[in-house]
Amino acid sequence: MKNFKRMAYPYMVWIAIMILVPMLLIFMYAFTVKGNSVTTFRFTLENFGMFFKDTVFIDVLKRSLFIALATTIICILIGYPAAYIISQSNGRQEFILILLVTMPTWINMLVRTYAWVGILQDNGIINNLLVMLGFERIKLLHTSFAVILGMVYNFVPFMILQIHSSLAKMDKSLLEAASDLGANKVQAFLRVTLPLSLPGVISGITLVFLPAVSSFFIPKLLGGGQYVLIGNVIENQFLTAGNWNFGSAISLIMTVIILISMYITKKVDKGEDSKGGFVR
Amino acid sequence: MLCGCNPPPFFRNSNSDNVLKLYNWGEYMGEYLIEDFEDQYDAMVIVEYFDSNEMMYTKVQAGDKYDVLVPSDYMIQRLMAENSLIELDLEKIPNIANLADGVKNLDYDPENTYSVPYFWGTVGIVYNKNVISKEELNEEGWNILKDTKYAGDLYIYDSERDSFMIALKALGYSMNTESEEEIHEAYDWLVELNNTMDPAYVTDEVIDNMINGLKDLAVVYSGDAAYILSENEDMGFFMPEEGTNRWSDAMVIPANAENPELAHQFINYVLSYEPSYDNSEYVCYASSNKEVLEEMSSENGIFYGNEAYLPRTDNENDEIFKDNATIRAKLSELWIKVKASN
Repeated sequence: MKNFKRMAYPYMVWIAIMILVPMLLIFMYAFTVKGNSVTTFRFTLENFGMFFKDTVFIDVLKRSLFIALATTIICILIGYPAAYIISQSNGRQEFILILLVTMPTWINMLVRTYAWVGILQDNGIINNLLVMLGFERIKLLHTSFAVILGMVYNFVPFMILQIHSSLAKMDKSLLEAASDLGANKVQAFLRVTLPLSLPGVISGITLVFLPAVSSFFIPKLLGGGQYVLIGNVIENQFLTAGNWNFGSAISLIMTVIILISMYITKKVDKGEDSKGGFVR
Repeated sequence: MLCGCNPPPFFRNSNSDNVLKLYNWGEYMGEYLIEDFEDQYDAMVIVEYFDSNEMMYTKVQAGDKYDVLVPSDYMIQRLMAENSLIELDLEKIPNIANLADGVKNLDYDPENTYSVPYFWGTVGIVYNKNVISKEELNEEGWNILKDTKYAGDLYIYDSERDSFMIALKALGYSMNTESEEEIHEAYDWLVELNNTMDPAYVTDEVIDNMINGLKDLAVVYSGDAAYILSENEDMGFFMPEEGTNRWSDAMVIPANAENPELAHQFINYVLSYEPSYDNSEYVCYASSNKEVLEEMSSENGIFYGNEAYLPRTDNENDEIFKDNATIRAKLSELWIKVKASN
């Protein structure tokens, strides 16, 4: 047992260097500003003040949360039935379906998002098809629709895989027991399958919501320069404005929001647990 | 016409240990520039690309080593002020005698102590000649961008510098103003544009989109405009009387360069006739080489009659950007607010 513990040390070092140090740096930057010639930096809360006193940034934050929420909900609506169908199919079919879900993720996300630009733009595939069929061009690119589409497209595999893995783990004999006790298919699904798959849904939500709320290249490519989400503000502060302190402060605010939302989902998960009463 | 296509391949004849690390704009070099230089100087060139001065600055600041950079005027001023560049040995760059008049004695570095111009140009409006008349443009100037007749029909270049330049010029101020009040008026001007005109903020995609005639108005750099005009006859180029930004991108050697000797040779090479011609023909930006510039815009030149190729040098209202740290931070903070304002 002791030996096993020792094997975790390299991992601890890894965590310290790759996660803790950058987090500390962000923390440092967020609470300081560049000083004058006497002190190199000084502690302050003004980076946070800058964010909260301005309705523009609050609006951007709200929009980011809304987009991420919409993305997550759509991912559940698409991902759950897909995962259910996959878990119902037999071994070989299941393997192929899982392969099809994961295959797009073998290609770089940025490249796949660029492909959507080509499909959606004013002289892209869809619009050219519309014109050929005698319709008017419609504006698809640089809209909320395009951004949400891009996010759902990029993140839905995570949702499907999470839900699928919890559905696949489920003991099929529980369903037989349910039908022995007189439950019909719908009842069995609602009372047995659904509660048992909730942990998968919850971890799917975490895996979709978090990247969606902080994504910056999807809104940049599909929303255009005028579509500013919180990730874009952070990117702008680091790359263009050169205000790393303000950028770090926003990152920290996002971290807090994400921690809170993870806490809430955990709570919901626990709550379902005690209600469901199944032993896992 | 060959303007702007695939970037030249890097890591070619990698047998030489005489290595030059070049950090340049994307799609900013002639087809054979790197290849020919490598052959003639028995060198290997490693090229990296940036798409904004700020991105380049962040990387160089973080300690990445390059031998030649090609930043814009105001960024060179900033790098100079921070002692990040080495003084050039002009004896190793005899081709400096080839410089065009428009890029001689530039304010930020009048004696070419640190920098040698690469391309130069202005910022203007590309417009659809079938929809918008020259009279209308002359009458409205930059304010045509706020003419609600064309709402939803325009591209704005996604850059705080150029956008604030336009707003300040439209209001009759200097684009290098340090007055808070004037900057705030410009901010309001841009917010109003954002909220009434439904503009699309774009960068390089504006080039293809205007060639395809997707919209009727666009703010474009003159070199990109020259390309658009050469590909789409319906498009014209207009520079408002109120003035615009006259910019230049120039080659510099950063202080931490590992091969300054080869860097000097490269700068000298770029300024000679053939590479300059190749560059300008391929990228469509105005050459810093006098002979090439004149030949291309003359009667038998490939840019004859193209209103966007030759930068305007005779308007008093045109200005060159000056770097100012406070204003720089202010503008970039305001710009993200403009874009997020609706």
